[in-house]
Amino acid sequence: MVKLCVLIAAVSLLPILCLSFSPENPTDRRVLVLLDDLSLKSSHSIFFNSIKSRGFDVDFKLADDPKLSLQRYGQYLYDALILFSPSIDRFGGSLDLAGVLDFVDSGHDLILAADESASDLIRNIATECGVDFDEDSSAIVIDHKSYAVSETEGDHTLIVSGDFIQSDVILGSTKVEAPVLYKGIAHSVNAANSLVLKVLSASPSAYSANPSSKLSNPPLHSGSAISLVSVVQARNNARITITGSLDMFSNRLLRSGVQKAGDSNKYSKSGNEQFVTELSRWVFHERGHLKAVNLRHHKVGETDEPAIYRINDDLEFSVEIYEWSGKSWEPYVANDVQVQFYMMSPYVLKTLSTDQKGLYHTSFKVPDVYGVFQFKVEYQRLGYTGLSLSKQIPVRPFRHNEYERFIPTAFPYYGASFTTMAGFFIFSIVYLYNK
Amino acid sequence: MVGKTEPVNGSVKQAAMPSSSSNPSRSDLLTSTFSLKSLKLKTKQQELLIRVSILCLVYILAFITRLFSVLRYESMIHEFDPYFNYRTTLFLTQKGFYEFWNWFDSESWYPLGRIIGGTLYPGLMVTAALIYWTLRLLRFAVHIREVCVLTAPFFASNTTLVAYFFGKEIWDSGAGLVAAALIAICPGYISRSVAGSYDNEGVAIFALLLTFYLFVKAVNTGSLAWALASAFGYFYMVSAWGGYVFIINLIPLYVLVLLITGRYSMRLYVAYNCMYVLGMLLAMQIRFVGFQHVQSGEHMAAMGVFFLMQVFYFLDWVKYMLSDTKMFQDFLRITVTCAVVAGAIALGVGTASGYISPWTGRFYSLLDPTYAKDHIPIIASVSEHQPTAWSSFMFDFHILLFLFPAGLYFCFKRLSDATIFIVMYGLTSMYFAGVMVRLILVATPAVCLISAIAVSATIKNLTSLIRTKSKTALTTSTKGSSGSKASSKASLDQSQPFQKNGAIALLFGAFYLLSRYVSHCTWVTSEAYSSPSIVLAARGAHGRVIFDDYREAYFWLRQNTPPDAKVMSWWDYGYQITAMGNRTVIVDNNTWNNTHIATVGRAMSSYEDEAYEIMRSLDVDYVLVVFGGVTGYSSDDINKFLWMVRIGGGVFPVIKEPDYLVNGEYRVDKGAAPKMLNCLMYKLSYYRFGELVTEYGKPSGYDRARGVEIGNKDIKLEYLEEAFTTSNWIVRIYKVKPPKNRW
Amino acid sequence: MARSTSKDAQALFHSLRSAYVATPSSLKIIDLYVGFAVFTAIIQVVYMAFVGSFPFNSFLSGVLSCVGTAVLAVCLRIQVNKENKEFKDLPPERAFADFVLCNLVLHLVIMNFLG
Repeated sequence: MVKLCVLIAAVSLLPILCLSFSPENPTDRRVLVLLDDLSLKSSHSIFFNSIKSRGFDVDFKLADDPKLSLQRYGQYLYDALILFSPSIDRFGGSLDLAGVLDFVDSGHDLILAADESASDLIRNIATECGVDFDEDSSAIVIDHKSYAVSETEGDHTLIVSGDFIQSDVILGSTKVEAPVLYKGIAHSVNAANSLVLKVLSASPSAYSANPSSKLSNPPLHSGSAISLVSVVQARNNARITITGSLDMFSNRLLRSGVQKAGDSNKYSKSGNEQFVTELSRWVFHERGHLKAVNLRHHKVGETDEPAIYRINDDLEFSVEIYEWSGKSWEPYVANDVQVQFYMMSPYVLKTLSTDQKGLYHTSFKVPDVYGVFQFKVEYQRLGYTGLSLSKQIPVRPFRHNEYERFIPTAFPYYGASFTTMAGFFIFSIVYLYNK
Repeated sequence: MVGKTEPVNGSVKQAAMPSSSSNPSRSDLLTSTFSLKSLKLKTKQQELLIRVSILCLVYILAFITRLFSVLRYESMIHEFDPYFNYRTTLFLTQKGFYEFWNWFDSESWYPLGRIIGGTLYPGLMVTAALIYWTLRLLRFAVHIREVCVLTAPFFASNTTLVAYFFGKEIWDSGAGLVAAALIAICPGYISRSVAGSYDNEGVAIFALLLTFYLFVKAVNTGSLAWALASAFGYFYMVSAWGGYVFIINLIPLYVLVLLITGRYSMRLYVAYNCMYVLGMLLAMQIRFVGFQHVQSGEHMAAMGVFFLMQVFYFLDWVKYMLSDTKMFQDFLRITVTCAVVAGAIALGVGTASGYISPWTGRFYSLLDPTYAKDHIPIIASVSEHQPTAWSSFMFDFHILLFLFPAGLYFCFKRLSDATIFIVMYGLTSMYFAGVMVRLILVATPAVCLISAIAVSATIKNLTSLIRTKSKTALTTSTKGSSGSKASSKASLDQSQPFQKNGAIALLFGAFYLLSRYVSHCTWVTSEAYSSPSIVLAARGAHGRVIFDDYREAYFWLRQNTPPDAKVMSWWDYGYQITAMGNRTVIVDNNTWNNTHIATVGRAMSSYEDEAYEIMRSLDVDYVLVVFGGVTGYSSDDINKFLWMVRIGGGVFPVIKEPDYLVNGEYRVDKGAAPKMLNCLMYKLSYYRFGELVTEYGKPSGYDRARGVEIGNKDIKLEYLEEAFTTSNWIVRIYKVKPPKNRW
Repeated sequence: MARSTSKDAQALFHSLRSAYVATPSSLKIIDLYVGFAVFTAIIQVVYMAFVGSFPFNSFLSGVLSCVGTAVLAVCLRIQVNKENKEFKDLPPERAFADFVLCNLVLHLVIMNFLG
């Protein structure tokens, strides 16, 4: 009986194992949350519960837990990492800066939250991702015009911002009405990095300085250049969110009402909950995740893919693009997907037409140049995973028997050659039989 | 009485017996040892037997002397160009002739590709494939590589036969035999036809000599059949080598000289016209040559002479038909002026409108040797294209160098159509051999033939001097009876032994010279021309040390990289990488696209981040460099680096040669220019070299090829990583990293 | 001046004509053949001058077949002409056989080149 129960339990675990992260099912399943102290579990419970309710396995660990490890025997144990441990100097166990970066570089997602106690380790992780926190460890974002009206905090460090990035993919289709409450440090995005985006910027009157001391020099970070929440979508489609305020996720700010100073609008609930929930949906690939499959090309009239084309051939090209809806793959519909026929520069550039069911196709004529070409589909849209497909195909010139024959303008030459031959024949007869 | 006579007869017989008694014993010996006499062969048959046996021995000798590298190393293809020829021959035998004729190769010159079928000279490959198929038909299951390796010695042997016939045509069979023997071992020819050197010249020299021989035979006999044969010989030459331009310019020049000196005849008309028209038509069947015979400036001389001949012989015919010379003079005047004006107008219009293309750089640099250095650095950079030093002449020709003028003297003494031809061939080819080292090969047959004439004529005179001793003795005895010539008889008697001794001494001298020639040729073949450049050998402490790094690197590439990986290296190694490594390359030895090569040169000369951009645009996955600092190998990429800078700078002015030099000096040590110390080629060659101790007593990072300690020992690579370095550090392969993930 | 040159030209023409009549008929047949071939070649060149040389290989093969066969016929004439001392040992059958062989090769190559 006991054996039977064990067997049933084991069998029922199988589907759970199958539901773990796979390319067919890109949504992350196992999330590791690293905390400075376990009280964060309760002080940020709304956020964590929203994640759990979407079906994730959330694993809480202290950041200096000596048994900490992200992978075992070469396999990663988790699909996403949430670092809510801003003051940790060294991770426990086998995890370190390179380990976190390798985790991201192998395609996994990261949410990083810092605050004014951010350690060098956390700052370095952020710098490696293209986000530079303010080097002054005592500086906080202060805004004397766009702060939250509140009884408790009067030094204008609890600020309000509604300056969101314009993207339905990242922030969801519903507009965030109420502004977001923020209390934490400033960061700026590295201008050399082309993959990082500012999701929530500070208002033009914000600056980053130590609130308890007088300003002696103009602050290094000020105005809208200060980013409050940034995201990075890496080339392997790993998504990283970096923010300087751990409090933004806390229950206190999620539940509180908000009123911007100088603004008569009073919102009973801040936009934090909607904002962080939608952002976590995006980070965990529940939205904006595309896949392109079945890149096919063939000559018009055939179905097999040839190994080589000839110049001036007609060919057809098709690719299928799907979007992950959180539960299943839906066809992706857009009218700006393009394909290039590329050899050091695009010879043909065509917009693909769609049949609304995810199939994109077009047909064109191979150019009059021979060489090794590539079919290139480069599709990078804000918030969506980048599609970078290429397939190499050589293009050959005409064979010796594929040129045109029996050209009308050349008939006199053909005629001349044949009459010469006939003339030779007649001449030799006449000459031989001449007495 | 009768009894008395009998004893007289008997005594006479007996008297005769002792004098001849010694002879039977000697003749017995002679008959036993010399079977010629026992076979009772006539002189003509003896001579034929001697000639055939000499030719057989020379044939075998020519083949055997080229086999040094096969015996010392193994049967492999040498150098760089032969690997391309081998690859195309392999393709031909595997896929058949039509695939070969239409072959578009997407594995070289990525991403431009190369139409191989239309840009090569197919003669060599088709020849080797035919030999291979013949052997297969006879059920010899040989590998195509063995056939390729031994094609050149086989055709060298055939060249000796053609040289014999040619010598016979020009002078006599003695000169032919000497010519065959000389050309069998002449180092100038061996250098490009050794076993393993599977290059166009191995077959082309045979075709060249064959064409010339058939043409001279056609001029001598005036037969259409021989002229047709020479047209086919010319077709074979056109299919084999780009040097056919020499033939198509030498023969019209020869015809012109004959016309001017008045030695023309009807036979010349028949020979040249048939050969030109049929040869031109056949040559245009080769895709690579195409319409050059009617459109290129290099071939216009032949066409001009063709038209000139028509006019010339037409005038000759008219002169013959008209009896009145005065009328003919007027006619002549009118016709000649018309013809000259028409010709000049046609040439002028053609050249000015660009329809007739001017002389290409390759051949123009032969007329103006300084042209390539200023305008076309790629041609100037090839080591075979440098002007020839006297030492090279001595090295490649030895005694033939002074036998050549002697032979010229003999030719001028007995001028005929054939000797005029060989003199012109010799003089023009010697001029071109002086301009470019590589063309010593073309001069070799002419030098051997003319020297053979000198040797043969001299030895003939000397031996006839020795042989006439008995005849003059008889004449002096008859003259001595007259008495009036007693004094002359005495002087003749006195000078006879002097002349004979002198002749014998000179003969020994000649034989001594020839034996020195043979030993020099053998030594040169063994030491200098039998090394496969792909395997290096050096004298170590315990005998010979072999460096097989090149093949090690190419096999690593073949087995450890993805099949569609693209390799960037300097163009020298392109053919070998495609043939042995089986990977796509960016540029190779064909050097048909200067801009592409300049792009690679620019990448090698730039800093690492700029080079990374260029490599990303070309989809490069691996970079291959050759480095000789550990072994002292001096033909590595650092020594070739200035050519990369010059070629790259020729197209991209960003690269300036003075940036890499210090006071005009090329250095790699601490005092080197900063751009030199940080360019990609320097970094890839010397990565991790600073930690290596190469020689006892020298500091670490001592470059044995340049003899200095390198300047930048702490090299860090940001965009590439080291993939493979061969055991002696000669070939180093680096992988290009993909772009950073989060940046 | 013009009259004297035209008179010269006429005298030239007459003497040429009279000398030509004396040639044997077999040579005249050859001359006719040569003339026909050259005429065909000239027609083609004129045609090319009007139309352009687009299929250049066809043009070349047409012209070269005419020029080639003309040249070969002239060679035949030289070899068969009894007044040429150099060729008195050459049997005319051999000369004609060579001529036929060369023409065969010529026309085969033309067929390949015609495109």
